[in-house]
Amino acid sequence: VTKCGLLRHRQAGGGAAAGGAYWVDSQQKRYVPVGGDHVIGIVTATAGGAFKVDVGGSEQASLSYLAFEGATKRNRPNVQVGDLIYGQFLVANKDMEPEMVCIDSSGRSSGMGIIGQDGFLFKVSLGLIRKLLAPKCEIIQELSQLYPFELVLGMNGRIWVKAKTVQQTLIIVNILEACEHMSAEQRRQALAKLSGN
Amino acid sequence: SFIIEERSFMPCEDLLYGRMSFKGFNPEIEKLMIQMNSRCKEEEIQVDDKMEADVSDEEMARRYETLVGTIGKKFLRKRDQRVLQDEDEDGNSNTRPSKKAKKKFLKPQD
Repeated sequence: VTKCGLLRHRQAGGGAAAGGAYWVDSQQKRYVPVGGDHVIGIVTATAGGAFKVDVGGSEQASLSYLAFEGATKRNRPNVQVGDLIYGQFLVANKDMEPEMVCIDSSGRSSGMGIIGQDGFLFKVSLGLIRKLLAPKCEIIQELSQLYPFELVLGMNGRIWVKAKTVQQTLIIVNILEACEHMSAEQRRQALAKLSGN
Repeated sequence: SFIIEERSFMPCEDLLYGRMSFKGFNPEIEKLMIQMNSRCKEEEIQVDDKMEADVSDEEMARRYETLVGTIGKKFLRKRDQRVLQDEDEDGNSNTRPSKKAKKKFLKPQD
């Protein structure tokens, strides 16, 4: 698979990475499941001990009943078709159907699992997600000054937003969708107009 | 040289955790945000909170003290139980010539 984009490099010496890292910073909308990524999925079917979850890739991922915190054979998780799930990939290669879990390696859920009621789910490109998840993201910081809200970002390009009123939710959705193509200055103007109102 | 191919973006750009909450909308997620994002820093801040115990340590020790005796008595053989009872009843050592509390196995003398 060939990708076009900027070649980026990070020096060795960061706390996490052992050596330097090179990667191609490209823009794309289609997600390819990768192991360890946290994604938002939609439950489409319950089939024999596992849920089928749509994550936007070429295949649906499977999510076992037991892959939730505190789930046992008798204690089934309360998941219906159409629910939103935040989980991470256990296994995801191009030869197999990807597998998802809502529990981390130590057995705790650490924020994963069913995403609650209400809220709004929408899709953006993968580059924007990476920009939003960068350690010092201005967009997120500026938005957090506006109103209280909750945000879940999936690496598959899906974002879920929930705020107190429907109008606030929609405002945040519009800003996030538009800020990919706005420059920083335009963004600040838009936010200033909003906080003025 | 060692080249490892990595398919995920997480180690490259040091991304944050995907779930976020602002201005106290969801307090649990805010706690999680602090926890997750501090894991990225060099030191792992060990969350050092003692779990609030229903029973305090002192009371636990007292209870255990008596408990061990009670349960231990259950498993004594009958002879030992009688001895234990005698010991409890008279604090002073018995006036009668002391019988051996536990009859050891006596080798048959030829």
